[in-house]
Amino acid sequence: MSAANVVRLQTAAMRATATTRITVEALDKRFKNATADVVAVDNVSFEVKQGEFVALLGPSGCGKSTILNMVAGLLPKSGGRIRIDADEVVHGAINRKVGYVFQRDTVFPWRTVEANIGYGLEIAGIAKPVRAEKVARAIATAGLAGFEKSFPRQLSGGMRQRVALMRTLIMEPEILLMDEPFGALDTHTKLEMHKTLLEIWERERQTVLFVTHDLGEALTLSSRIILLSARPGRLKEDFAVPFDRPRDPVALRGSEEFSRLYSHIWNSLGEEFRRTKA
Amino acid sequence: MPHNRTSILVWQIAILVVALSVWEWGFDLRKVAALKPLVPSILDPYFVSKPSAIWASFLKLGCFADKRGFAACFAANDNNLWLATLVTLKNMAWGFLFGTTSGVLAGLILGRSDFLSKIFEPYIVALNSIPRIALVPLIILMFGLGDMSKIVTAWIVVFFVVFFNTFEGTRSVDRDQIAASRLLGASEVTVLRTVVIPSALAWVFASLTPAVSFALIGVIVGEFIGAERGLGKLIIEAEARANAAEMMVAIFIMMIVGIILAFIVRRIQAYLLRWQPQFDQQAA
Repeated sequence: MSAANVVRLQTAAMRATATTRITVEALDKRFKNATADVVAVDNVSFEVKQGEFVALLGPSGCGKSTILNMVAGLLPKSGGRIRIDADEVVHGAINRKVGYVFQRDTVFPWRTVEANIGYGLEIAGIAKPVRAEKVARAIATAGLAGFEKSFPRQLSGGMRQRVALMRTLIMEPEILLMDEPFGALDTHTKLEMHKTLLEIWERERQTVLFVTHDLGEALTLSSRIILLSARPGRLKEDFAVPFDRPRDPVALRGSEEFSRLYSHIWNSLGEEFRRTKA
Repeated sequence: MPHNRTSILVWQIAILVVALSVWEWGFDLRKVAALKPLVPSILDPYFVSKPSAIWASFLKLGCFADKRGFAACFAANDNNLWLATLVTLKNMAWGFLFGTTSGVLAGLILGRSDFLSKIFEPYIVALNSIPRIALVPLIILMFGLGDMSKIVTAWIVVFFVVFFNTFEGTRSVDRDQIAASRLLGASEVTVLRTVVIPSALAWVFASLTPAVSFALIGVIVGEFIGAERGLGKLIIEAEARANAAEMMVAIFIMMIVGIILAFIVRRIQAYLLRWQPQFDQQAA
């Protein structure tokens, strides 16, 4: 039996026994428009298990970010249920187990890199020496050494997003919600970010729900892809991504397995993209 | 052609020398019959005085040219140039302090609360459309000829400038930055302290440089209309005696005060807003 198959079986076994962290049941979201009711999310149900890296993939405007924001409690839902562990998610209430990374640049421009990364610890009242040590480690992990005292305006978009990522990860969230965090970055920077994120995740194995419209990104990072249809967002398909770990994003993208799965999912997704454009 | 610092400085000095020379000797050219139509009557030292006379007035008002000596001259007049400057500065400082504090507080509160800002909007619009100077006689009636009426005038003038800027600044705080802060565990108060205030600070500071000059205007106008002491009082007294040189002395003192205060505000701003791109040089 090949090493790859062993890993695959282990992953499958883990999924079967692992506890469910995120439960989404019959989730609906309707917006009131000036002229009509718009259905953004229609009857979506899925589960995310402990230690899974799930990509929520769909064309632009399919409601995938809306789903993520409802899971984070940032947006009220119109119907259905969302639970994190046993707790119902309430709009406006922040769950301390959850970390969130935005697509937009939300780094605080008036704080230096280290003050940004240490923000959550600082407002939680963590003592300065403890904080400084954690921040130093996060800066090393993110490859931001030498920029500790820099302000965000002095950094590139990719580096700012590293700061945002570490600002969230330093709080050691058990569940990580990511809303197209690398969507605004160029291809090269994106690959670098994939590498960093994979290194961290393969070590810490947080439960991740990752929204993206980039199939290559979903395949590179995730263990499972939930494919949504174009608006209104409905659950279309659920794929396992069986690639071995640890993954090297560049090598993986060149592999035959990757292209095969890519074109298989593309055929489903392509249909959705054509529908949005029409 | 490169515009280096030296050539800019040379030009600045040249302009100053020419302007002062025209001011000092320009009117004398009228004595030459051929040049008379070219010299405007506004250059008459009766109206604008002249640099040498202003300097002499400064020495006299400043107690530098008194036979009794500086201390005796200083003690003899309780509205001498230095005490007048001090009184005006003191009233201005209090007005500025009260105006900015109340302006920032009101701006933050109304900026964070849709409910309150909707309630108060018509009142603020109405009050803001009153020319502040029109209130000065009323304020003097209410608070008397002393320092209080000047402080209140400066306060009111400064309040609105700072309030509107703080309000706008609070309104334009990035919602995602607030959400990010909440998701990292911040309470409402922590969000206010660590996100809203730092982010609104740029707007507040944009209003502080004008607020400094407005505070000075407020105090001076108050002193014009009714006062016992201060630079404005000095000007009004000099006007009664048609003494342009003394008025010019007070005006120059105000100019210097304005320059120094604006400089201080700019330095504080450059430090507190060093995260903004336009302060690159100062930050480096």
